[in-house]
Amino acid sequence: MKGIYRIACVALLWSCSPDKPVNQEQLPEQESGKSAVEEVIANPTKGLGAVKSVTLKTPIELDRVNRGLAIYEMKCASCHKLTDQRVVGPGWKDITKRRQPEWIMNMITNVDVMLEKDPEAQKLLELCLMRMPNQNMSIGDARDVLEYMRQNDGEK
Amino acid sequence: MKKHIKSALLLLVAVSAVTFYACKPQGPQAALTGDAAAKVYVAPGKYDEFYNFVSGGFNGQLSVYGIPSGRLFRIIPVFSQFAENGYGYSEESKPMLMTSHGFVPWDDLHHPALSTTNGEHDGRWAFVNANNTPRVARVNLKTFRTEEIIELPNSGGNHSSPFITENTEYVVAGTRFSVPMGDKSDVSISTYKENFKGTISFIKVDPTTGKMNINFQLKTPGVNFDLSRAGKGPSHGWFFFSCYNTEQAYTLLEVNATQKDKDFIMAVNWKKAEEYIAQGKGEKAKVNYAHNVLDESTHTATSEMLKEVLQLDPTVLKDIIYFIPCPKSPHGCDTDPTGEYIVASGKLAAIIPVFSFTKIQAAIAAKDFEGEFAGIPVIKYESALHGEVKKPGLGPLHTEFDEKGNAYTSFFVSSEIVKWNVKSLQVLDRVATYYSIGHLCVPGGPTRKPHGKYVIAYNKITKDRYLPTGPELTQSAQLYDISGDKMQLLLDFPTTGEPHYAEAIPANLIAPNSTKIYKIEDNRHPYVAKGEKETKVERKGKEVHVYMTAIRSHLTPDNIEGIKLGDVVYFHVTNLEQDWDVPHGFAVKGAANAEILIMPGETQTLKWIPDEVGVVPFYCTDFCSALHQEMQGYARVSPAGSPVPLKFSTGVVEETGSK
Amino acid sequence: MWAPQYPEGLEMKIWINTLSGDVKTISALNHYIGMKTIEVSMFPEFKYMIYLVGIMIGIGALTAIINKRWMLMIYLSTILLAGIGALIDFYLWGYDYGHNLNPEAPIKIEGMSYQPPLIGTKVLLNFTAFSGPDIGGWIFIGVGILLFALLIYEWKANKIK
Repeated sequence: MKGIYRIACVALLWSCSPDKPVNQEQLPEQESGKSAVEEVIANPTKGLGAVKSVTLKTPIELDRVNRGLAIYEMKCASCHKLTDQRVVGPGWKDITKRRQPEWIMNMITNVDVMLEKDPEAQKLLELCLMRMPNQNMSIGDARDVLEYMRQNDGEK
Repeated sequence: MKKHIKSALLLLVAVSAVTFYACKPQGPQAALTGDAAAKVYVAPGKYDEFYNFVSGGFNGQLSVYGIPSGRLFRIIPVFSQFAENGYGYSEESKPMLMTSHGFVPWDDLHHPALSTTNGEHDGRWAFVNANNTPRVARVNLKTFRTEEIIELPNSGGNHSSPFITENTEYVVAGTRFSVPMGDKSDVSISTYKENFKGTISFIKVDPTTGKMNINFQLKTPGVNFDLSRAGKGPSHGWFFFSCYNTEQAYTLLEVNATQKDKDFIMAVNWKKAEEYIAQGKGEKAKVNYAHNVLDESTHTATSEMLKEVLQLDPTVLKDIIYFIPCPKSPHGCDTDPTGEYIVASGKLAAIIPVFSFTKIQAAIAAKDFEGEFAGIPVIKYESALHGEVKKPGLGPLHTEFDEKGNAYTSFFVSSEIVKWNVKSLQVLDRVATYYSIGHLCVPGGPTRKPHGKYVIAYNKITKDRYLPTGPELTQSAQLYDISGDKMQLLLDFPTTGEPHYAEAIPANLIAPNSTKIYKIEDNRHPYVAKGEKETKVERKGKEVHVYMTAIRSHLTPDNIEGIKLGDVVYFHVTNLEQDWDVPHGFAVKGAANAEILIMPGETQTLKWIPDEVGVVPFYCTDFCSALHQEMQGYARVSPAGSPVPLKFSTGVVEETGSK
Repeated sequence: MWAPQYPEGLEMKIWINTLSGDVKTISALNHYIGMKTIEVSMFPEFKYMIYLVGIMIGIGALTAIINKRWMLMIYLSTILLAGIGALIDFYLWGYDYGHNLNPEAPIKIEGMSYQPPLIGTKVLLNFTAFSGPDIGGWIFIGVGILLFALLIYEWKANKIK
């Protein structure tokens, strides 16, 4: 009974979601709305996107950290400081303690869907009033940046 | 009684006057049938079926429309500066407009040619001509940017260009004006016959990169070359050019170049020319011409001056070119999709001759010549002729083809398109254009596989088709449905510049490959700042180089001090965005320049020479985000010799910024 | 004259002593097929037309003063003759204008001549040409018809008497 109720909820939510833009089939593959909603319900903290689970190693992987730093400086540093100071976007200090690694990587690689569907991402948008741009990063890039964030948060 | 007769007679006068005036013919009116609107309606968010690449004529640009909607998507700057995005103003793009005459910021762009493989559109490049200062440009259809421009030496006006061979082996460029060349360039104009020569340049195209180089030039008798088409299928290896002014007039051509009943179609066996070159028969001529190339990884164009060109003289190497008589001042010279028929449109002629490639070959083999013109054999008209289209209309200009064996010829004087069958030469249908059509375009019309469906008329006179806008009016095109037996007018749409020739290509050959961003990782610009950490301001003598980044919604650095009067400041702005359709713009108050528009991942440079002491604002010109109006900064200009040190900073007050 | 590219038409008005309308445009178009440039000096008639018409008005006034039927007859004949004369004159001019072409014209079409219609409509290449009287002409025609009516009336009135 509970299951049916959930499906009904999902259906209701789905029917309220805005129409997909036409010709979306020509845009890059993205998570479909329906599975995204299911995902939120299933994993409220992992976010939406291709990243389902991440294995973190200790000690941290230094080659990833170095690549992550380079990407940070090129694509992220304009808006994110390494302290807790918010400029255009929130500062990165302690981000790996606040968020699941999957959520961080999904936010980086699937930002448009996240801002549209993920409640946590939407809260940040309300705070910063600036949509985080899609910086055309692969999942590997995002993983490197994540490792750099771990180092920034003091992990060894 | 008296009164009755009188009034009856008066009435007669009045009635006869009215009936007489009722006989006055009516002006032409566009008859639109009911379903035209549905046929051109592309719903919001839906895409057009074809891209239409339309020459901009005297605006020097190539514009891109959707067919059937007639919507303008884009103007691609090619031969003219374009303040809208900084093309020809930014330091990176200025070298594109270099010529042997220095920086030439304008030209007259007449004809696009879309690249083909096996005679069919491959959606890779568009080649376009500069008519005034002779040049050919290549536009990349992934980025919709001008990537290369090559100047043509020994050319006086590049009208008969660019036309391409079946596999885009060559792009040709024939001179409109014949000119005296080389050592004999300072001669009396009246020595035209003796000293003036035409050239046909064969520009070789690299099959993978598209890079162009002038492989050889044919030196021809002094005439005017107008238009051209390559052979295809069986006639691959040949080129056909229309020639006028075979009177060799050099003044009042309107009269003096229209006296002969027949001018020529020039048939060129370019494979033969290649054989001669392989045998070392060419001669190198000293010339001076520019070759400009855009490097996609540095986002920067470079210009190089070249000094030599290989020339062949067909009056000596006799079996390269042949003349075929053709009535009268031919304009269009078009090969049909089978490659067998060559349609010549004599703009002052009352018939359209259609030549047969097979017959031309037979006539050459049998030496069926009526004589020579300036040392070139002239094939007998009847021996080359497949037949004539009788009474087609007035002022035939240009012909394209559909996939069903029909030809569509534009008629300037009688302002109409006439559909006729290539084999039977029978006129099948005619439809009026508003007004005075020049070129026309059937999607895929010049290829071996026309896509048919529509014919588009590019008109020379707009007059009353749109709301009036003073003496200067928009230019105009018209779309006709040709899927049925009868051509049907569907749509008028305005065009920018003057539309000469245009090509249309199915959207699915281009849209999937369209570039969305430039990868910041691949940016090799010498002044790139890949991230705000790399931003800086450097002084090199009197030059100040600002390595600046732009991302929603700030510029880094946005406070610059230590610039002095007498300095030349270069703002090298890198757009750090990596998302589709997030360009940033950049402009400085008082800069004697345009703005620059920087695509995601790209670096562009704006040069600014400060002319007064003070604090000068700069800002982003492209509305990029909710905080676009906040995307701004200041540059402080101090007097020459002032002790103010060079420093720069960004935003946050706590970070003092003076690094 | 109308053509697809001139939907609003081109017009030339011949007045008693001058020309008006799109004369220059018409000349510019026609020179392609070798026709002469239309100018006031082409029409020597303009020099004496005004006197001819003056004389006719004079005869009209005289007719009114003399007030005799024979005078009415004379006046009607004069008007008729003048009308016929004008038509012949216009035809001769049109013939010369349409046939006497510059042999060096850019466009020459075998067997084609371009004489404008005398009265009515004629298709000449892409143009449809129309000739007809304007206000002045209509006044003349009106006068003629009135005179004719008057004669009939007089004749009938006399008969009744």
